[in-house]
Amino acid sequence: MSTRTHTVAQQNTEQAPSPESLPGRSRARASRFRDYMFVLPAVAFITLLMIYPLGYNLNLSLHDTNLGNFLTGSSPFVGLQNYAEAFGESEFWHSLGISFVYTGGSIAFSFVVGFALALFFDKTFPGSGTMRAVLLLAYVFPSVVSGTVWRWMLQGEGGIINSVLQRLGFLREPVFWLIQGDTALMSVIVTTVWVTTPFVMILLLAGLQGISPSIYEAVQLDGANAWQRFRYVTLPLVRPVALTVLLLSFIFTFKTFDNVFVMTRGGPGDATNIMPIYAYDLAFTFFRFSDGAVATTVLIVISVVMSLAYFWASRREEAA
Amino acid sequence: MAEVKTVRRRYGKTLIGVLIVSAYLFPVYWMIATSLKTNGDVFTIPPEIFPSPLVFGSYVESVLHSPPVIRSLVNSMVIATGTLVLTLVLGAPAAYGLARLRLRFTVLLTLVLLLAQMLPTINLALPLFVIFSGVGLVDTYLGLILANTALALPFAIIILRPFFLTVPGELMDAARVDGCGRFGAFARIALPLVRPGLVTVGALAFVTAWGEFVFGLTLATSEQMQPVTVALNRFIGQYGTRWADLMAVATVAALPITLIFAGLQRFIVNGITTGATKE
Repeated sequence: MSTRTHTVAQQNTEQAPSPESLPGRSRARASRFRDYMFVLPAVAFITLLMIYPLGYNLNLSLHDTNLGNFLTGSSPFVGLQNYAEAFGESEFWHSLGISFVYTGGSIAFSFVVGFALALFFDKTFPGSGTMRAVLLLAYVFPSVVSGTVWRWMLQGEGGIINSVLQRLGFLREPVFWLIQGDTALMSVIVTTVWVTTPFVMILLLAGLQGISPSIYEAVQLDGANAWQRFRYVTLPLVRPVALTVLLLSFIFTFKTFDNVFVMTRGGPGDATNIMPIYAYDLAFTFFRFSDGAVATTVLIVISVVMSLAYFWASRREEAA
Repeated sequence: MAEVKTVRRRYGKTLIGVLIVSAYLFPVYWMIATSLKTNGDVFTIPPEIFPSPLVFGSYVESVLHSPPVIRSLVNSMVIATGTLVLTLVLGAPAAYGLARLRLRFTVLLTLVLLLAQMLPTINLALPLFVIFSGVGLVDTYLGLILANTALALPFAIIILRPFFLTVPGELMDAARVDGCGRFGAFARIALPLVRPGLVTVGALAFVTAWGEFVFGLTLATSEQMQPVTVALNRFIGQYGTRWADLMAVATVAALPITLIFAGLQRFIVNGITTGATKE
């Protein structure tokens, strides 16, 4: 289990400044240049394949680029007009709303289930380490495969979920989960929870294992029962970790595309049309690249804000 | 007596644990079980939990004898292997540089790497499609490998850097005094010492690239170039209700990942937690 020890600030101080030992400024500069050669290829790659495309995307959102002119590169500059249009469209707000409902629902359930699993697997018993790791298979599995399998399990006809629920008496008639709007949203949330819960569990386990056993022993001597130990020791001590885990799972869930696309493609209608799928459709179904760029810019702003919140929370957690 | 009780309680937990894990991974089992039935038998009511007899027809017809499936598996293999190699070639020296050398922009670069991991893939796919269209990289292996490396490189550097920090500085200095040179010290002394890190990053880069979907969907415009994830999504529509066939393709698509996960579990679990959380 990795412990969370490095913060951005700490990393800086790890490279203890050693006194300049090389004689002569030019030699020092030449050696400095050779040092940078190790990092240069990666920096060049990141600049070309991440920073430049992101800048390009921003620029795209300020032009009117569509199927007609995207190869000629002669698209007119329109300023913030695309943004104004997007913010005036109900589809935009709908998909933003769906994204938040989907993300909120997913992280709430995966947190609860992940926390329960973490509490269970926190105890050492024969095989506990292996079992924890094996659960992560759900997270490592290609998400398109998970989406396909869940799509099969949720089929109205032949789907195992209907059979089980009917057998248990929860359903009288088979439900076509992915064909009705509200059950489709529920279904993609359940699938996402299945994928992300093991990840949440592993992160929370790291937090739980940071609680010193001596605290539990001490309160046990004072006569605290299991519930009191959980309520007055585990919960307060795991709270800072919980915040970072929630933020991190928000960030990773908010950008989900694969399993939702595979299960519903944003439908039925636009019931599961989360923001990344909305952006995909604008750019790659309707070839309205600039409008797609507006949507992805909104996505990135939300992601960056949440990421900064995460960095802030995790540094506070280190300090605590 | 007390000992027997403790042992029983410990194994009682193990039993519950096995039940939890089995229930949790039931979808994986159900995928394999469905793939071993006939396309008609998957609809029996109640469903057969244990398929009997085991039928391998879907694997023969829909995988081995299906050129599009084989082609997509080859594509995924090329893309994932290429991504693995390029990620290590770019990531290892960079992580070494950030760990060993006093560079002015370390903090800035680390922040960029962390933020990069949090980006929605579609944010890169859209501009990359437009940019790649202009330079002929759409629908090529190279384009897909470059895009996938953009996803893998940030976590590769973040995971590898702490490994290089554990290499004793005196060792590196000694190597340089012995005439190894800067690059020699890195390649001959540091690299072999961080082998576990390289395995972790290699495995994660391969697993990520193999499972990647958005780049495959947007940057591979012809069926000839599509990775198996995109092919699987296409088959959902094409196969209709041939669920046994679809599950056979899904099982094969998940197989390399499952094997790597089984073989390198320790590395992957460590990598996932480090890559996501370590700053």
